[in-house]
Amino acid sequence: MAVVVETKNLLETVVASTVAGVGITVVFSIAIWGVARFADLSRNERPLAAGAAATLAALAGLGTLAAVAFGIVVMSSK
Amino acid sequence: MSSDVILVIVVGTALAFDFTNGFHDTANVVATSISTGAARPQVAIGVASLLNFVGAFISISVAATVANDVVNSAVVTPTVVFAGLIGAIAWNLITWSFGLPSSSSHALIGGVVGSAVAAAGFDAVLADGLVGKVLIPAVIAPVLAFLVAGVAIGLVYRIVGKQRPGTVTRGFRYGQIISSSMLALAHGTNDAQKTMGIITLALVANGTLGADADPPLWVIVTSATAIALGTYSGGWRIIRTTGTRIIKMDAAQGFSAQGAGAAVILASTHFGFPLSTTHVINGGVMGAGAGKRVSAVRWGVAGNIVTAWLLTLPAAAAIGALAYGLTAIFGSGALGPVLVTLMSLSLIVAVFARRSREGGPVPVS
Repeated sequence: MAVVVETKNLLETVVASTVAGVGITVVFSIAIWGVARFADLSRNERPLAAGAAATLAALAGLGTLAAVAFGIVVMSSK
Repeated sequence: MSSDVILVIVVGTALAFDFTNGFHDTANVVATSISTGAARPQVAIGVASLLNFVGAFISISVAATVANDVVNSAVVTPTVVFAGLIGAIAWNLITWSFGLPSSSSHALIGGVVGSAVAAAGFDAVLADGLVGKVLIPAVIAPVLAFLVAGVAIGLVYRIVGKQRPGTVTRGFRYGQIISSSMLALAHGTNDAQKTMGIITLALVANGTLGADADPPLWVIVTSATAIALGTYSGGWRIIRTTGTRIIKMDAAQGFSAQGAGAAVILASTHFGFPLSTTHVINGGVMGAGAGKRVSAVRWGVAGNIVTAWLLTLPAAAAIGALAYGLTAIFGSGALGPVLVTLMSLSLIVAVFARRSREGGPVPVS
């Protein structure tokens, strides 16, 4: 049965899907959180905190794009 | 000469299946984006068809599985492949007619397995490949997408739950442009390859290609084009079911469902598992609904979809076996495939005419 079921490949599929699916969604959510906080903090005239939120949003946004690009590169490398 | 005529019919039928695959599965890719207002329908479908085309060129792992690991190519003839395709197309049209997002992939594999069994008995089926590369991933993939989308949406609500809804919704609508693009790309990589695999199988059976050969470039290009054209034609009946009838979705749920679906399909494609993109995406949609509130999922609709999923392999196999039997009545020449093709076209026209007269989709709940 171990030969029939490609255990290693299936396990890697499960791990990769979970890390990519949950990871990208969480990182993108952090980007949105950063944008929302930036808007609120700017309105409340707290420029330092707003700047930090904007930086976090930018980093998370870039992280999302990098993860997507990495996924495509991995896919096309086989 | 006769075998070449059959081969031409098989390739034409395979590309017709590929077109119905794109047509049938457009909903999987664009429904959540349309239902949350992230993209206008025509734009979403146009981008999806383009990325389906591009995705078809990314990998050939799934094509290799379909061509080499499901049925024994030594006992398969072009007529067997033809009958399998008829089984798959017929089942796709039946489920489309009822607005049910069933699996084109399982219909294709079921149809070919059914016709191969009718032609050469159960020895024609490669049980290891069918179980290990098709059936087990078929069960795991939608459950995985359900869980990934459910966990992801739970975390999303924790992270952005206290922020202004307008900003959050706008953000996730932008995000859905990325997630639906990834999903379209993933769909192209997995689904277009199944047709490539089937055409390659027919070419091997006809002696045009050697065993274990990769799909030729013309097969890749025509398969990519057929699925892209099918996607562009759109399947509005199923878009409505996937986009609005399983759950009432917000943009964050749409993003989570699409992200989970794309991740599962791309990872599976990498290892050559020809899974059902339909099952995966609907699993993701249900997971994103249940992650917010279990009662948010219309379980009656979900149950009907699951029933269609369970029926797909055996039903397509039965139709494939029937199509092979019908073709074989007229001998091993081209007459059988020609007559069955004409009968199938008549049935397709009848189904479209009936649905056109009836108007909107048939309720599935």
